[in-house]
Amino acid sequence: MQSKKITSKMVIPVVTAVIAALFIYLGITKYGFWHEVRGPLPGFFPTIIGFALLGLSVLAFLGGRKEEGTTYPIENWYPALGVIGIMLATLVIGMLPSLALFVILWLKVYEKYNWKTTLVGLAIIMAIVIGAFVMWLGVPFPKGLIYNLIAY
Amino acid sequence: MENLQMLFMGFSVVLTLENVLVTMLGAVLGLIVGAMPGIGSLAGVALLLPLTYKFNPTTAIIMLGSLYYANMYGGSFSAILLNIPGDSPAVMTALDGYPMATKRNRPGQALFTANMSSFIGGLIGMLILTFMGPLLADLGLKFGPAEMTALLLVAMTSIGWLVGENPTKGVVLTMVGILLASMGMDTLTGSPRYDFGNMYLLGGIPFTPFVIGAVGFSQVLKLMEERNKKVEAHINQKLTIKGSMLTLHDFRRLLPPAIRSGFMGTFVGVLPGAGATTGAFLGYAAQKAFKSEEPLGSGAIEGIASCEAANNAAAAGSFAPLLALGIPGSGTGAVLLGGLMMWGLNPGPLLFSTNPDFAWGLISSLFLANLLTLMIALGIIPFLIKILTVPVKMLIPIITVVCVVGGYSTSNSMYGVIIMFLSGLFGYILDRNGYGVAPMLLAFVLAPLLESNMRKAFIISHGSLGIFFEKPISAFLIIVLFAIILTPVVKFVLRKAGVLKK
Amino acid sequence: MKKIALVLTMALLVSFAVFAGAQAEAQAGKAFTPSKNIDWYVTSSPGGGSDIFTRTIMDIAVAENLVNGQNVVVQYKTDGAGEVGRLLVSQIKAGVQADHTLLTFNSGDLMPMVKNTNNRFENFQPIAHMAVDKHLIFVGEMSKYKSFEEVVAALKRGERMVLGGSKGDDIACHAALIAELGVSQDQLSYIAHDATSGAITAILGGHFDLLISKPAAASQYVEAGKITPILALSTSRFPGNLNSAPTLSEFGYKNVEVPNWRSIVAPKTMSAEAVAYWTDVFKKVSETEEWNKGYIEKQKLVPDYMDAATFTTYGMNFQKEYLASIGKDK
Repeated sequence: MQSKKITSKMVIPVVTAVIAALFIYLGITKYGFWHEVRGPLPGFFPTIIGFALLGLSVLAFLGGRKEEGTTYPIENWYPALGVIGIMLATLVIGMLPSLALFVILWLKVYEKYNWKTTLVGLAIIMAIVIGAFVMWLGVPFPKGLIYNLIAY
Repeated sequence: MENLQMLFMGFSVVLTLENVLVTMLGAVLGLIVGAMPGIGSLAGVALLLPLTYKFNPTTAIIMLGSLYYANMYGGSFSAILLNIPGDSPAVMTALDGYPMATKRNRPGQALFTANMSSFIGGLIGMLILTFMGPLLADLGLKFGPAEMTALLLVAMTSIGWLVGENPTKGVVLTMVGILLASMGMDTLTGSPRYDFGNMYLLGGIPFTPFVIGAVGFSQVLKLMEERNKKVEAHINQKLTIKGSMLTLHDFRRLLPPAIRSGFMGTFVGVLPGAGATTGAFLGYAAQKAFKSEEPLGSGAIEGIASCEAANNAAAAGSFAPLLALGIPGSGTGAVLLGGLMMWGLNPGPLLFSTNPDFAWGLISSLFLANLLTLMIALGIIPFLIKILTVPVKMLIPIITVVCVVGGYSTSNSMYGVIIMFLSGLFGYILDRNGYGVAPMLLAFVLAPLLESNMRKAFIISHGSLGIFFEKPISAFLIIVLFAIILTPVVKFVLRKAGVLKK
Repeated sequence: MKKIALVLTMALLVSFAVFAGAQAEAQAGKAFTPSKNIDWYVTSSPGGGSDIFTRTIMDIAVAENLVNGQNVVVQYKTDGAGEVGRLLVSQIKAGVQADHTLLTFNSGDLMPMVKNTNNRFENFQPIAHMAVDKHLIFVGEMSKYKSFEEVVAALKRGERMVLGGSKGDDIACHAALIAELGVSQDQLSYIAHDATSGAITAILGGHFDLLISKPAAASQYVEAGKITPILALSTSRFPGNLNSAPTLSEFGYKNVEVPNWRSIVAPKTMSAEAVAYWTDVFKKVSETEEWNKGYIEKQKLVPDYMDAATFTTYGMNFQKEYLASIGKDK
């Protein structure tokens, strides 16, 4: 028997089927399906959709086996790693410094721009973020562990 | 025409220097707020509310009204230029706006179309508001839970048209969207649902970070492939307003969808619970039933026109129940209402009689805001197009930052950022595998409305299905629903039987 | 060299900590005055009732110079339907921050909190109870019933009817009402809307017969004649245009009321001096004309200041009764 590679096209329907099964199970057992007088209970709608999703997931799975697999170029994940980095750094040094750091590192180290371009890019971004979000809308960005320690 | 006279009186209230300046300020702020993903009209209005305490109530509400309204214009900017909707109604605009700007290389025209359609849609909405405001509001009242359920079921069938070539995949995502939306507090029972014991999930998945991630951040990940493409040289010639003007032919293409959506959007704006997002969606879906010169989703003018006109019209329409009955049609409306009450005005059935100069002043200010915003928006088109000349390599970190900040700002917590990030990954993987996320987003918005109305209808009827057929509006819509569902089936059968030619 | 630097840094840090601690200790004996920014948490969106309540008090306190010239920063924490924000405040450790943290807290916050999470009222330090709101039952122009007598008669005949209102305290009020009337959920069903305005829209459209609402949201419709009050859920009749509605006791039942209170609390760890300070600040606010004319009257509330100690007893009792009514022990 030929062994088929497991492509993400096949994984996705499996994932949606699992989600469907979960919602169905909780819908029926925990949230209730139908009440004589009160009509549909919280579990009703999600359970029905869950069944539909289950059926369609099977169809999608069968269709997916015939299609080619997809490639995921490795560079495409870099911004995602960047965001993870931003989130972690925010905990320590606060969000605004983390964002600035991300921009500098990205433009200078990864894209290999010179300092002038990097700083121009940084200035534009920080102008947008600080001008609109911080100064005008007053969004309280997290200040990070270090700031909180120093401040008190 | 008593209403017309009142309208002119309203203009005399508005056309003072102070009020005009304030309208302009509101318009500019609204454009900026609208363009920025993560901050919607709700946040903009709520945060500016304290600033307006200095002004007298009429001036203050004029500023807020123009801000709310201009927000609908601004949302399309980032949608068209970056494929990141500035707010939820702009999700539809991005579907045709971005391809028109990039693949068809007509960014200026795309922006122009969006602005003109917004103007037309809004104008129609305001005219209807002026002459039929209270009537319209009363009509909206007739749409109770049963009627809304029927209407939304009809609307849901049109999601089917959005699913593209592979219906199975599209519908799978629609269902996922519905399930995701059901997580959180169930209003009807006051208990949490599908929260899996997580305190954050008690509030459900917030829509804005979800959209920013699924559409915006996934876009960033896709852009990584285009980093090294050279920026096309011939974009330079389109940087003037002249280069962005629409041809007469283009104009003729955008008028019918814009007018249609103007009427439809106004009506949707009046309905309880439905707002600009629903309006934009229905406008776009309805366009599928009409001829478009280019296919929808490939950068067709009709696509942009139909949803932009609808969302502005819905914004205008939502003022009808607010002013005539004191009922806010949306979260933003509720903030406006709160502000009005703080200033001692009580919108309600008596507003037009007790404070006519205020009510009509507000309506006329909307006309003024519409015009001013159009002029400002058209004027900055060359500047906006310049954004497209920024090399992709630069854009990627910029957009990433905006996505993170936007995701954070909705609830001032990292929860928004995490949702944005996860939906971005999710959206990217789905996109790579040929699943389009648009149906999922729209199901996310419409399904909770459908479910809550359906359950309320059943509570009222004490569990019987009869209510959907007893009430006239609802019965009519159910018939329409069956017609839509059965037509393809009937056609299929008739063809097989040889009655209908293939 | 490096080692010495490390040791010095450690020594520096330790001495900072001791110094800060000593400062705090020195403060303990003296009366409290705010010495830094005050963080005031609101667990619902800006523009809503809690926000208006918070900002009004804040503006009055600043205007009357009751916060020692410090800034009050309103922080919105709406995640998890507000539970995350409440949990955060309840977990603030003792110290300067705890003394400068406040939280707007209503009965409408308490009920879902104890129903859906493990957080309880005793995890907070009650500071001041400011105002109270009660409910009425209304009928619309198209309702089948025109008075509460007709409603009672219809219920006795076994007719089913629907009551609409908002989520939150309206639900508890409905539950108390049907318990007193002796009818079941199925006979007098309840539909919760996200906000009272949704229920009002529905009743104006004639989609159901009964509406429960607090005076503020309903009064303009009463004046326009679109809805009529038929029952006051309180121990006495309401004033003004709501006066025509009788209370339950006039029908031979016991009065039912589930007051919707608005208050301010703080972390449990707030120092006693700070508690005394803040409870006094809000007492002064509650006595100003701006509060009474500019807020209470406009919002049609009943002013009801309770200081920290009185409010603690009231709140704990409220929680106990509510828990019992939903079948939880503690």
